[in-house]
Amino acid sequence: MVKREKKIIIIGGGLAGLATALKVCESKMKAVLVSYQPLKRSHSVCAQGGINAAIDTKGEGDSPEIHFYDTVKGGDFLAHQPPVRDMCYQAPAIIRLMDRMGVAFNRTPEGHLEFRRFGGTLFSRTAFAGATTGQQLVYALDEQVRRYEHDGLVEKLEWHEYLGAVIDSGGICRGAVVHDLRTGSIFTLKGDAVVLATGGPGQLYSRSTGSTVCTGSAATSAYLQGAKYANGEFIQIHPTAIPGLDKLRLMSESARGEGGRIWVPRKRDDDRDPLDIPDEERYYFLEENHPLFGNLVPRDVASREIHDVVYNKKLGVGGDAMVYLDLTHHTKEYLDNRLGGILDIYEKFTGEDPHKVPMKIFPAVHYSMGGLWVDYETDGHGMIDHRSPRNQMTSITGLYAAGEAEYQYHGANRLGANSLLSCIYAGLLAGPCIHSYTQHLDKAPEDVSSSVYDDARRHWESRFQEIRSLNGNENPYSLHQELGESLLANVLIVRTNNKLKETLKTIDDIETRAKQVNCLDTSDWANPTPSFINQLYNMIHLSRIITQGALVRDECRGAHFKPEFALEQPDRFDPHEYIDYIEKSHYEDVAETDFAPGHLTYMKQFEEKENHWRKSTIAQFKNNCPDISFEEVDASLVTPRPRKYD
Amino acid sequence: MSNNEIELKIKRQDGPESSPYWERFSVPYKPHSNVIFCLQEIQRRPINADGKDVRPVVWECNCLEEVCGSCTMVINGKVRQSCTALTDQLKQPIVLEPMSKFPVVRDLQVDRSRMFENLKKVKAWVKIDGTYDIGEGPVVSQTDRNKAYDLSQCMTCGCCLEACPQFQLNNDFLGAASFSQVRYFNLHPTGAMNRDERLESVMGEGGIADCGNAQVCVEVCPKNIPLTESIAEIGRQTTWEIFKKLFFK
Amino acid sequence: MNKLTRGETHFLLYKIHSLTGIVPIGVFLFFHLAFNSLRTVGVRQYQFGIDLINNTPFLLLIEIGFIYVPLLFHSFMGFYIAYKGKSNVLRYGYPRNGLYTLQRISGAIVFVFLIYHMGTTVVPKMFYGKHAFEAAPFLIDIMNQQFGAWEGRIYYLIGILSATFHFANGLWGFCVSWGILVGKRAQQNAGWLFFLVGLALAFLGLATVWEFSLHPESVTPSISG
Repeated sequence: MVKREKKIIIIGGGLAGLATALKVCESKMKAVLVSYQPLKRSHSVCAQGGINAAIDTKGEGDSPEIHFYDTVKGGDFLAHQPPVRDMCYQAPAIIRLMDRMGVAFNRTPEGHLEFRRFGGTLFSRTAFAGATTGQQLVYALDEQVRRYEHDGLVEKLEWHEYLGAVIDSGGICRGAVVHDLRTGSIFTLKGDAVVLATGGPGQLYSRSTGSTVCTGSAATSAYLQGAKYANGEFIQIHPTAIPGLDKLRLMSESARGEGGRIWVPRKRDDDRDPLDIPDEERYYFLEENHPLFGNLVPRDVASREIHDVVYNKKLGVGGDAMVYLDLTHHTKEYLDNRLGGILDIYEKFTGEDPHKVPMKIFPAVHYSMGGLWVDYETDGHGMIDHRSPRNQMTSITGLYAAGEAEYQYHGANRLGANSLLSCIYAGLLAGPCIHSYTQHLDKAPEDVSSSVYDDARRHWESRFQEIRSLNGNENPYSLHQELGESLLANVLIVRTNNKLKETLKTIDDIETRAKQVNCLDTSDWANPTPSFINQLYNMIHLSRIITQGALVRDECRGAHFKPEFALEQPDRFDPHEYIDYIEKSHYEDVAETDFAPGHLTYMKQFEEKENHWRKSTIAQFKNNCPDISFEEVDASLVTPRPRKYD
Repeated sequence: MSNNEIELKIKRQDGPESSPYWERFSVPYKPHSNVIFCLQEIQRRPINADGKDVRPVVWECNCLEEVCGSCTMVINGKVRQSCTALTDQLKQPIVLEPMSKFPVVRDLQVDRSRMFENLKKVKAWVKIDGTYDIGEGPVVSQTDRNKAYDLSQCMTCGCCLEACPQFQLNNDFLGAASFSQVRYFNLHPTGAMNRDERLESVMGEGGIADCGNAQVCVEVCPKNIPLTESIAEIGRQTTWEIFKKLFFK
Repeated sequence: MNKLTRGETHFLLYKIHSLTGIVPIGVFLFFHLAFNSLRTVGVRQYQFGIDLINNTPFLLLIEIGFIYVPLLFHSFMGFYIAYKGKSNVLRYGYPRNGLYTLQRISGAIVFVFLIYHMGTTVVPKMFYGKHAFEAAPFLIDIMNQQFGAWEGRIYYLIGILSATFHFANGLWGFCVSWGILVGKRAQQNAGWLFFLVGLALAFLGLATVWEFSLHPESVTPSISG
């Protein structure tokens, strides 16, 4: 029997897509990489601060197990634990691999990898290449993929957009429908499996730290075709970004990892030059409120603190929505070596030199912890079976997802420098798992009825014809901006049910108006407008998933914060008390006197909340709306407990 | 020039074979805005200065913070990234043109695939054995790492090539970006194992010898990559290579 | 020796082009200007210098092998290189880019100048059969005549400035393209050093022109034939 060559279609050329492609090639399958733009330009290049791996080169006693604990705790115990644990155990190997590929990681005097501090941990666990780590990692993977392309194992389809999966009558994904962004032609790619490594949905908010391609459109398309979308409401707001009209540019967490301090003047509307304000008149609110983690509390905590200082205490710099991020105590040489890249960018956009004056920053939409639901299979020891075809597979057989497009590794809040890790880890994992999947595949794409492909193609052709014929009076780009403004106003750091309900109405309204858009450009060649209108349609659906999920979830968890449902942690509460309480309650009735006053009541409330809400939100497309249900979280390895960072 | 409007003059072209034409636009002034913002405003209100409905301008961009390399164009006569081109610092009307050294796709969008092909030509990669966990990478001194990092930030934006008097639309010159990549990979302990192949790839027509040392590349590089040092360094490496071949082998 | 690939041959041709600009052409230029500047010491001393050169054994072979062939190679290769590039100094007016453009322009000027220079010196010398000790008086007369008019002085002024600039800047280009000057600082420092070299050579040449123009003086052959 002649062994046929398996063909895997990978959508997206960021870290996850590239990592998948490498493993696909190593498994002797052919990879077809579909990308909206040339591969080196994907959004992963925007990641700045670093990538986590508990290698413990500084004798601090770090270990992958602690990395795992920090990650699930950072994510407020919403992530399934075995995949997270496996990722943390694989992290050192991933760093070594990237190092072998030639990534210009910062070095110790002896020439080994240097690590720095990052948020949500007390250990130096983050390897980094200046402040352009994402760019450096993408380039390294891109170079390896280029090498395979040179050897004929990878076929690249750049300037092509994924429209949807080709799904046969048995519900199995047999390929993808692709849109050539130059010629405008729509065609199908036959493949044994399709991987969506299409990144996050920052563009939903119009202005975020995301790149312009981060529309979440591909993942939404899968959702519209029946795939489960999970934890959509968990949108990370990065505490430090540079405000801008077209984009909110990220100011890396590594600035704080390297000792950057967040503060505001203690006096309201203090208009002195920041350098003239003496230390005692500065309010270092993160350090004061969280003495243990200080400026390196997790992002959800930091963003909420900034929000509180600016909007509730009205202490924003110059009365505006801004706080200081101060690095001026370091030497220029130190900063350029450790943070080179981002400080230049700050200066280019603001005209102020962050070596000399504190930066003015504010939180911005940054990352989606949620994404396509994907499966995993454990090996029975709290780790992952690395060969199981189930790993990284969405609820549609044969359709995989990896990277920010899926939901699996960060729970309710992602720790800094874990995203690069999860993207590469998931990509490297997906490759061999897809190989296993294709081993048991009933038939080759060539044996699938050609009508399956023809129907899919025709569906999209007529959809685009319909888009081209739209000649209403709404501008799609303005409509997108309106959608973004609405989400920015109501589905951000602090959420209330009233506002969320209002937003759902706004979204409905925008959906209606989207039917009245004008397809401003109907030409055939290199025309981005029809494609954008289609993306807008997807963005509307994705906004609904996020808002609906946020509305339904009546609790506070990680990045999802609803003051109406906030549980106030009593003074001097130690999370270990909760473990004691759980332990005790297994055997006996727990008495109020066993704990400090008020603690037991709090813990009981907390337990009740956990039992009710510590579940993945699952959205499924039904009657043009997300149908929300909840799924148990695998918390078999670490007992979930209240988070505390001070 | 009115204070509450930004005037733009944009060189447009409907397709690779069509002839270019100029079109003027004005967009509302906003402080701290950049060229990308102006183009986005045109998308939201695609009307030219004559008040005529036109098709939105097509351009290429992605990260908007100068790490992806997409949004290169010629702005007021000089090539640069449009995301970091702040309108407050530009003379008006702001003149936008596509790069001239690459085939125009449409409007301000060009096809830079030649740059990516060149990366294949010069074998811009470290040949690793595989992605399996086979141990640590080589030890690299801080000095060598810093040198490498300066080079590794090249985002294939094409500024150095657009500004190079030797690089033309219809010749085969590799250009500064490729030479710098050769230096980068020859610097890495594992990369250096394939040094000879890489040097050979830049010795042919359009290779390192064709460089005329006009050194404009280094002036326009948005990432301040020491391109001219790379060129001289590769000059040195290739010169040795040919010496060895002629006299020592 | 190994057989060279097509690419390596291409590489070698370019390297030889930049090398021939230094050795032998640059070296020749240096000696030519240095010898001629003897004219500023006195016309007899100048005549002595010319006689010395004109009586070198195997002169024609040396001239062909070390001057004419390298010069022609350097010129034609130079035109080919200039043809491959396209100056953009008006857009990107950085100093080095200006020098890049000037290098090409000066090369072309020197080429034209050499046709004029040799056409008025070497060619008549051969045509009239003036060799050995007869050459100096013959050439000095030609020079006196040329420098007697403004046109001649201007031609030589332009020619000498172009040639010395082309050499000095070419020396820098050679050092960079052969990888002798790698660092930015080294390239800058050497740039200034070579500027001084060019200035010195230009001074030698222009002093000679000055002397010829101000004090024309004929000589008779130092040894009568």
